[in-house]
Amino acid sequence: MKRIAVLVVVLLSGYLAGCASGPKYSEISSTISTLAPDKGRVYIYRKTIAGAAVQPAVRVDNEVVGKAVPKGFFYVDRVPGNLKIETSTEVDRALSMTLEAGETRYVRLNIGIGFFVGHVYPELVDEVTGKKEIQSCSYTGS
Amino acid sequence: MKIIPVVVTASCLFLAGCAFDVIRVKQEPAVLDTTQACDDAFVLSETIKVAPMGGYERELQSATHWRCVGKIAQGGVFRTRDQILTAEASNIYEADLVVSGNHIVGFFLPVESTFSPLKKPHALIVR
Repeated sequence: MKRIAVLVVVLLSGYLAGCASGPKYSEISSTISTLAPDKGRVYIYRKTIAGAAVQPAVRVDNEVVGKAVPKGFFYVDRVPGNLKIETSTEVDRALSMTLEAGETRYVRLNIGIGFFVGHVYPELVDEVTGKKEIQSCSYTGS
Repeated sequence: MKIIPVVVTASCLFLAGCAFDVIRVKQEPAVLDTTQACDDAFVLSETIKVAPMGGYERELQSATHWRCVGKIAQGGVFRTRDQILTAEASNIYEADLVVSGNHIVGFFLPVESTFSPLKKPHALIVR
């Protein structure tokens, strides 16, 4: 019985070690830089710890801008226009979206079932949902 | 009997080599003309479920406001700020609604500049 408890603690520790550990959005939101009027902002976050071992890079228009860390978030500011947000595990998953000047949008990184490993895929969510879900996520930088 | 592990291994390798991108939303090129006047805005009076060909079902929520942003050959293109609309299969595309007559006939994907027809056109139920 004791061995099982130790094993559970070890596994849980390893699992949680993969989660973001920076300051939470709710703690630093007031210090995040103001958006320039000629740009739009995209917050990218992963709200669950499911599939924590799978942490692919996140690319915006083919540029790596961050990592899909469980319970983590980061943001990018871009000129208005079209954006393609992608992750790669055993497959590529992409979201294409528009961004207007002065606009802030939210992209949630979900985990789906894969053949060998889970698939992380970006999903555009509405502002109310994004603002609510990002509160408990920690800043991972970009 | 030794053949079973071989078949399993071969199948795994075969499937691993396959892209999982096997579900694709049907798309055809479309040019959005924003110079033509188009139909009035509308408000949906009830929740409607629609699905693009090759993609997953989407819910158009009741009481959402849709305004015309232009036309494509297949109909008027309507956009809303009240909900997120995407066409989704293996990848996800932000989308607008395409309405022709009194029916929703498909999605317009602004980033791709394509039209994605619905599996089945749906009557527009407006206030």
